[in-house]
Amino acid sequence: MTTVHAEAGKGTLPHEPEKATLEGRNKVLAFWLFLGGEAVLFGTLFATFLALRNSTNDGPSAAELFHLPLVAAATFLLLASSLTSVFAIQAMHRNKPKELRGWLLITVVLGAAFLALEIYEFSVYVRHEEFGMTTSAFSSAFYTLVGFHGAHVAFGIVWIAILIGQLVRKGLTVVTAPKIYVSAMYWHFIDVVWVFIFTVVYLLGKVG
Amino acid sequence: MAQTAQSLNPARPPEAGHSVKRYTGLMDWITTVDHKKIAILYLWAGGFFFGIGGLEAILIRIQLIKPMNTFLDAQTFNELITMHGTTMIFLGVMPVIFALMNAVIPLQIGARDVAFPFLNALGFWTFLFGGLLLNLSWVMGGAPDAGWTSYTPLSSTTYSATHGVDFYTIGLQIAGLGTLIGGINFLATIITMRAPGMSYMRMPMFAWTTFITSAIILFAFPAITVGLVLLTFDRILEANFFNPATGGNPVLWQHIFWIFGHPEVYILILPAFGIISEVIPTFSRKRLFGYSSMVFATILIAFLGFMVWAHHMFTTGLGPVANALFSVSTMLIAVPTGIKIFNWLFTMWGGQVRFTTPNLFAVGFIPTFTMGGVTGVMLASAPADFQFHDTYFVVAHFHYVIVGGLVLGLFAGLHYWWPKMFGRMLSETLGKWTFWTFIIGFHLTFFVQHFLGLMGMQRRVFTYLPNQQFDTLNLVSTIGAGLMGVGMLIFLWNIFITSRKPADAADDPWEDGRTLEWTIPSPPPEYNFKQTPLVRGIDAFWKEKLAGHKSMTPSEPVGSIHMPSATILPFVMSVGIFIAGLGFMFSRDTFGSEVLSFLFNNYIVTGLGLVITFGSMLMRSLFDDHGWHIEPEELEGR
Amino acid sequence: MATEQHSQEGGVKHRHRHEGPQRHIVVFVFSVLLTLLAFAAVAAGGVNATFAVILLLVMAALQVVLQMGFWMHLKDKGHLLPIVFMLGGFFIAGTCIVMALYWVWWD
Repeated sequence: MTTVHAEAGKGTLPHEPEKATLEGRNKVLAFWLFLGGEAVLFGTLFATFLALRNSTNDGPSAAELFHLPLVAAATFLLLASSLTSVFAIQAMHRNKPKELRGWLLITVVLGAAFLALEIYEFSVYVRHEEFGMTTSAFSSAFYTLVGFHGAHVAFGIVWIAILIGQLVRKGLTVVTAPKIYVSAMYWHFIDVVWVFIFTVVYLLGKVG
Repeated sequence: MAQTAQSLNPARPPEAGHSVKRYTGLMDWITTVDHKKIAILYLWAGGFFFGIGGLEAILIRIQLIKPMNTFLDAQTFNELITMHGTTMIFLGVMPVIFALMNAVIPLQIGARDVAFPFLNALGFWTFLFGGLLLNLSWVMGGAPDAGWTSYTPLSSTTYSATHGVDFYTIGLQIAGLGTLIGGINFLATIITMRAPGMSYMRMPMFAWTTFITSAIILFAFPAITVGLVLLTFDRILEANFFNPATGGNPVLWQHIFWIFGHPEVYILILPAFGIISEVIPTFSRKRLFGYSSMVFATILIAFLGFMVWAHHMFTTGLGPVANALFSVSTMLIAVPTGIKIFNWLFTMWGGQVRFTTPNLFAVGFIPTFTMGGVTGVMLASAPADFQFHDTYFVVAHFHYVIVGGLVLGLFAGLHYWWPKMFGRMLSETLGKWTFWTFIIGFHLTFFVQHFLGLMGMQRRVFTYLPNQQFDTLNLVSTIGAGLMGVGMLIFLWNIFITSRKPADAADDPWEDGRTLEWTIPSPPPEYNFKQTPLVRGIDAFWKEKLAGHKSMTPSEPVGSIHMPSATILPFVMSVGIFIAGLGFMFSRDTFGSEVLSFLFNNYIVTGLGLVITFGSMLMRSLFDDHGWHIEPEELEGR
Repeated sequence: MATEQHSQEGGVKHRHRHEGPQRHIVVFVFSVLLTLLAFAAVAAGGVNATFAVILLLVMAALQVVLQMGFWMHLKDKGHLLPIVFMLGGFFIAGTCIVMALYWVWWD
């Protein structure tokens, strides 16, 4: 408890700066717990989708709707962004703030590209395929599941962008390091959820 | 390691953290991050909603006092039963549970605060604003009327055209967020903040049940979050999740609700188990019988609690295989619960039992809860459930476990820890009056309802025809409810006169305290422990007492104590969510005023609320909270 | 900046060997391969539906285990509680999915 005391002075950034203070360790642990809850959240959304996947109400079905090349492109973008956020954490552990900022920036850009593809995909469905939120139980479930993931991506992009700003202003410290580590955990988790989305929603949707 | 770590922040001078703004009066309560004050806030707010829920119950019972009564109309009755259930569970008892957790858990594990004081405050304020939003429905066009389970299609816009159910979905969503935050906070607190020497298997049982309860919250609440989102989308965005006409399925709502809903009842009862496991050993002057089996039973109950949800849906038509499966898993829960009942009995056996008010409630809990458990096993039998389903037998069952179990447990806990929370002993005489009036009133109210149910009286009906043998039993039930009300009033009177007395409670006012909270002043100073204690065994304080020591051995020298800063951001964030929720709810309405219509229909109100919330989040992220320090001189000065 | 001093003083106190990017690139390559295989299996068509379901789910699970183990460091020591709570979350999520597949629609 008696840890945080702001002193001007010298010293090295510890090997794992995210776990150097009790506050940092608490943050990382609590974020794991939160991700456990998020697993249930997405699990329930997947369950809803699976229950309603065939209720197309004479609207488009999954097999008619999805274009795999677009989904594949989105998948590789997000997968690559997950790798770049690993590199960001490695740069942080090597205490290279500039490198860290660079990798985070690339992560944000890749994430934004993913999000742009998703928005494009949704707009095509709504405008050209007459597939909106109210079309069928399947459409409601699809937009809610994939949209929840998209909202997570959007939140992650803004979050990491703000952290880049903080890195510039405050530098890499034992206060900023846990935030960056936790945001990287979040980003990986988003990718993990997407693995299930492209498998269960898109690929299995095509298989029928 | 921490020392090196700190030196990396060159921007701040050493004393920067020491000049901190301290608030007084109302601002102190709005900005506090102290777990002891948040506990009191939870208690007040929970007590307030409990009072509302209690009044609703009295109104329901007055309506049912005689056949064909016209005291309430059917619509009002539906709103009352819906709000009674919802308020009591989400806004009445859960906050009081959180009050006791907040007041006691950091003290019991020898910590100076919870892991996340800021989130602790945020959890409280989101709960409060969610609860206020829900209750605002009474004055904004009608309360929710689809039952506390809000089954579709009854809760769809077709059958529930007012905004009532929207208040339910969005109010609970916001309150649920607070609960989830609280759950994660307590998990992290118990994992990382235990005093030196306090291994998991040396934790007091209340800490254990809080830990397991928080884990259930973590895994159960996201399910209802999704369920409520789906229902909101169905009602406001015209989605089709539960609408059979467009391919949806109402059974899906029942599943999602109960996948959350059944663990929820264990979220309610496990803390009560923990309280009883603290009170009975203290007033038996014996250690808890079968401690490790208690821990094991708690974990087992939590696990099984997730595996039984469909026993609420036996009559839905899931088929014999599912019904048999859920029937068996439900009956299995009786095993760990039975272990607990016997452990409490064996703890008292051969002990020097003192029947103080807390112990009266604890001892009253055991047979009352057992009766609720036994009817639970009866209901678990799927064929029999086809008879019991939706009758007053079910109503009697769940009131036996929730009121006879949880509420008696909460009364035990409140009387037990009241001196620690407020520094004043509640009157024992009035406490015993509370106990006898409440428990007699309780059994009068609900025991007869078993028979009403078996005789075929349906639950949720707003009146009944005469000469079905329902008349006398309903009259008895209503008289009992009045007596429970009298018990509550005596308790409130007790609180009132106690608050006028001097705060002179001893550190260990029951004199047989076994755990760490009784080693520090009542109420504790804001840093709790001047020196973190060294824990040498289960029932740490009792162990020192047996060794002839008057206090704990400290595990550290007296030193500077770091404290988190007070902040108004949690309050502001919750106000933001409240505004956003209200805005979203009315986004499809046409208002008399052009301006209002414009603001709501274009999501401007919603957006404003979200800007407030996310803006506060951003501020919290951008401006580091350096906290402040209490120096050794101030500690000695006390 | 304090962080700059690290490079001068770091040599003495610096006992940890930082892991290189290689193994993460390996995980990435595996993930890419698994993803490609999954898409290819569906795009090629003609795969038995039951077989496809099992194959796709196994590959998804494999990819998730790889990423959570290496990228989220769950394989490292000191991660018992995170593993317990993540498995708990996945278990309840799995329960929900069993519910959705078997107990929502019936004849």
